[in-house]
Amino acid sequence: MTKETDQATRSDVTSSELIGAVKQFLMESVLPSLSGRDQFNARVAANVLGIIEREQQLGPALQALDAEAAQKWLPNLSSDADIPQQLSRALAARGITPDTEFRDYLKARQLLIAGINNPRYASRAVAEARWR
Amino acid sequence: MTPDTLTKLLNDSLRQSLAGTLAGNGVSGLTRLSGGANNETWKLTWGETPLILRRRPFSADSIDSLEGNILGLSLIDEASVIQLASATAVPVPAIHAVFDTDHPIGEAFLMGFIPGESIPQRWLTDATFEECRGKLAFQCGEALARIHAIDRLQLPSTIGPTTLGKRFEAAQKRLHAFGDISPVMQMGLNWLIDHAPSEAPCVLLHGDFRTGNLLVNEQGLAGVLDWELTHQGPAEEDLGYLCANVWRFGHLDKPVGGFGDYDDLIAGYQSASGWSPELSTIRYWEIFAALSWGLVCQTMGALWHSGNGDVERAAVARRRSEAELDILLLIEEWENA
Repeated sequence: MTKETDQATRSDVTSSELIGAVKQFLMESVLPSLSGRDQFNARVAANVLGIIEREQQLGPALQALDAEAAQKWLPNLSSDADIPQQLSRALAARGITPDTEFRDYLKARQLLIAGINNPRYASRAVAEARWR
Repeated sequence: MTPDTLTKLLNDSLRQSLAGTLAGNGVSGLTRLSGGANNETWKLTWGETPLILRRRPFSADSIDSLEGNILGLSLIDEASVIQLASATAVPVPAIHAVFDTDHPIGEAFLMGFIPGESIPQRWLTDATFEECRGKLAFQCGEALARIHAIDRLQLPSTIGPTTLGKRFEAAQKRLHAFGDISPVMQMGLNWLIDHAPSEAPCVLLHGDFRTGNLLVNEQGLAGVLDWELTHQGPAEEDLGYLCANVWRFGHLDKPVGGFGDYDDLIAGYQSASGWSPELSTIRYWEIFAALSWGLVCQTMGALWHSGNGDVERAAVARRRSEAELDILLLIEEWENA
């Protein structure tokens, strides 16, 4: 006997699918009807939707990595503090030594951020091969 | 500003100022070219002569608090540096008119249109430009040496000498002003401070000499464009900037702008200047260039937040991550070299 769920027609649309639908609208309907600067910006807008989508996927891993780093290098930080900002300020004050462990954290973090913002950037493939 | 308004304003002013120098009595075909996050670029025809108008779309006041050496140069000063360069063998467009901030057109200048290919994605890969690509690194070395030899006493007073210490200080100030959001950029700045080369004499730098600002033809370098980031500093800075990963358009195996090799760049520079820049110093400036690119991205984000700019500018703010990735990669390469 087939389960009930297998027979159901999907009626929800996830946020990621919504982004995909808007992206398709921009690329297939809006872009061809524009010219010059507006057409250029429509393409940029479609790329921006890609950033948002990837941030939804990779953001939680990035936050977890930062939280772990805060415990190691800024153990007295309050829970609502902006971790990258506090790390930056500690570095500026030379309060953190960027040893191998700290740099490994920055590298792991940067692989995620690069994956969100510009996965096609050429240096990313080099970094992935070297650091992962 | 709409093309119609701008056409009218240009006609009002150019009919007098171009009389006797360029044939024609009106602007036609004014079109805004895409790209260009700081300044607008417009193409137009005067009589039968194709021209380019560079215009700053926002008033200098509105970005005053964000200025450093990143957006600092006015178009008026940019035009005077291009005029100085035109007296050398460096290929640059002729300047036909300059408008100051009080002019109805706004801060702008009008220059000649140099025929050639300006889109790197085309000339870096197209077979037509194979010969060009083979010569270009040497030619860029020569051109940079000639720019660096320009008499600094003739420069506008806003383009003064500086020191590495002041550059570090300015970068630190900007990282703080932009909210200390990037541990990698802060680590990069710390590293640059700790590994600074010994202070070298200042020369005039193009400041934005990269693949995207070169105009080429089948013979090689046809034009050096976009002088808005001109400043003074050590010669190797311009060479390292040209070699920065971010300006290689994905061709990481060709360190000079995605088309050439270090040896040819250095040989070209040596042939016109009489001395050879050190590769390790050039590579140091590649890391500095990565940090600068990150700061430009942050500036774009800040400008967008202040109401200046469209979706492209907002999106460029996210390209900071390219700079961060390169800072980490390049420091690692330097330390393993």
